[in-house]
Amino acid sequence: MFGVSRRRLNIWLVNLALVVICIFALIPVVTTVVISFKGERDIIRKPPNFLPCDTPTSAFDPTACRWSVEGYQRVLSPKPSAGGLLPYALTGNIVRVYIPNSFLYATSTALIVVSLAGMSGYAFSRYRFRGRQALLFSILAITGVPLLTNLLALYQMGVVIRKAQLPFYDDRLFLVAVYTGFFLPLSVWIAKGFFDAIPRELEEAAVIDGCSPFGALWRISMPLALPGLMAVFLLTFVNVWNEFIAGYLLIAKNEFKPAMFGLYEFLGQNIINLQVVAAACILIALPIVVLFIFARRSFFAAMVEGAIKG
Amino acid sequence: MQQMQTRKKQRGPFHTMLPFWLILPTVLVLLAIQVYPALYTIWLSLHERQPQGWEYVGVNNFVRLFGMGVFGESVGHTIVFLVGYTSLTLVLGFIIALLLNRKLKLSGLYVTLLFIPWIIADIIVGIVFRLLVVPDYGLLAGFLQNPAIFPPNGISVLTATRPPSWFGGFPFPPALAMIYLIMASAWRALPFITLLLLAAMQTVSTEVIESSRIDGANGWQVVRRIMIPLMLPTLVVALFSLTLGGMNGVGMVFSLTGGGPGSATEVLSYLLYVLGWSQLNFGRAAALAMLIAVVNWILILGTLRVTRVEERTH
Repeated sequence: MFGVSRRRLNIWLVNLALVVICIFALIPVVTTVVISFKGERDIIRKPPNFLPCDTPTSAFDPTACRWSVEGYQRVLSPKPSAGGLLPYALTGNIVRVYIPNSFLYATSTALIVVSLAGMSGYAFSRYRFRGRQALLFSILAITGVPLLTNLLALYQMGVVIRKAQLPFYDDRLFLVAVYTGFFLPLSVWIAKGFFDAIPRELEEAAVIDGCSPFGALWRISMPLALPGLMAVFLLTFVNVWNEFIAGYLLIAKNEFKPAMFGLYEFLGQNIINLQVVAAACILIALPIVVLFIFARRSFFAAMVEGAIKG
Repeated sequence: MQQMQTRKKQRGPFHTMLPFWLILPTVLVLLAIQVYPALYTIWLSLHERQPQGWEYVGVNNFVRLFGMGVFGESVGHTIVFLVGYTSLTLVLGFIIALLLNRKLKLSGLYVTLLFIPWIIADIIVGIVFRLLVVPDYGLLAGFLQNPAIFPPNGISVLTATRPPSWFGGFPFPPALAMIYLIMASAWRALPFITLLLLAAMQTVSTEVIESSRIDGANGWQVVRRIMIPLMLPTLVVALFSLTLGGMNGVGMVFSLTGGGPGSATEVLSYLLYVLGWSQLNFGRAAALAMLIAVVNWILILGTLRVTRVEERTH
């Protein structure tokens, strides 16, 4: 067979198939990037053309491509500003309001989830106490409960709390609490798995040498568990960033709603301007995709611990 | 360990109670955000909002919900969606896992690239797929709407109505928008399912496979008679988790089809939003939430049973 062994040929075919699958998996992503760099003139053409590179004389001329950043300009809408650090201020709602909101929710939820899951994951991993099995079982069962069916009750709770007019309270606190409650159970399991992998002899040695149990947790186990807690942080961050329906329904004021709502609102306002919608999608998804590519080991570790073993 | 226990006792109540204090915040958060709302939903489903407050109506909300034409329709849409979504994702995921199961130099690269769809929000995936088929301007629309390729008028994914049903009122064959919604959802779920199946596949011993090969089994027989039976628990877990996600995922319907055309892609999760927040019909929405929650719990407990959770709570 052309001088290659059957086995080598097989490997080549498998590689070829996987390359084709990867291309298919990434086509929607690539087309969105291409759309986001088109100008309005090429967007509203009929029939549409994949690349804006045709001229009256030739179907494809790479030197004549009409790439444009118009979509990004309309999302960011930079206005000249005098006082700021940059010569331009970005005044588009997506970058001025919605992305900072999402960043706030994702960071604060992830921090709270990491501390709570770190504490309880450690306790479940190290101590044997009455009710432990039942509690672990309940937490595992709750892990599977999706947000959707509880939303009505949570919405109603939000209305009641809002009416009570507590000092310093706004919907944002409630949303972070809801996100914490929903992403915590999985994180407890992931954290427990990571603590299980740390030999407990290390802590026992520290305790025998005069360290308090809490000190052993803080000085010995925590540093060793740091990669695991990092994985919990990243997974929670991405989950909150990508969440739509709770952020949309549980927050009353538009100025506090997260980026996914901003995107949904944007979709309604730009039915024809596909380049603007595509640019908004890229701006919101890019940080997460970059984060994933750089920290993929962390994500996979968390998944193996949480979903596959757990 | 025994020594540690006795030492702790000597150190006073704080240290013996340490595990309790460590777990308490988690339990409180879960009670407030998971358990209480679940019970509250039951209460809501038995009440109706009146101008002066809540009135107990018993099972009336359920009776009225079942009486709505859109409810039966949504059940049909949900079944079509779930069957299409789970089977497409499982079959493709299994095939890709089989390919990745070979020891390849580039496996890491493939897995990273294939995983990008998983990290993208469902709202964005819906928009990305929508951009491809927006009538007239979408990149695929030029090809799909060409009457020369798809006679007589070309096809328009987002606006074509459902073909006449084959079985009474059941929405099969589905509208094109439904098929497209299934494809987009499968695209996003594939990476996770592939990795889940790949992990299970790697535990199937190569010796068993090689010895059956020597006995003359071909590739398909190995998959059919050895891999699938050995991977059955994982396949069931994958099926349940896909059903759970598909049943409760609503973002993609929002951004891809908005339930349309007409109500062709209005699945139960979207109906819950429509009843509760568009029509402000809280009682019926709570009744629907209860029904979905019951299905969720059956799936969750089924998963726990299959994975024999008792072995892992140690």
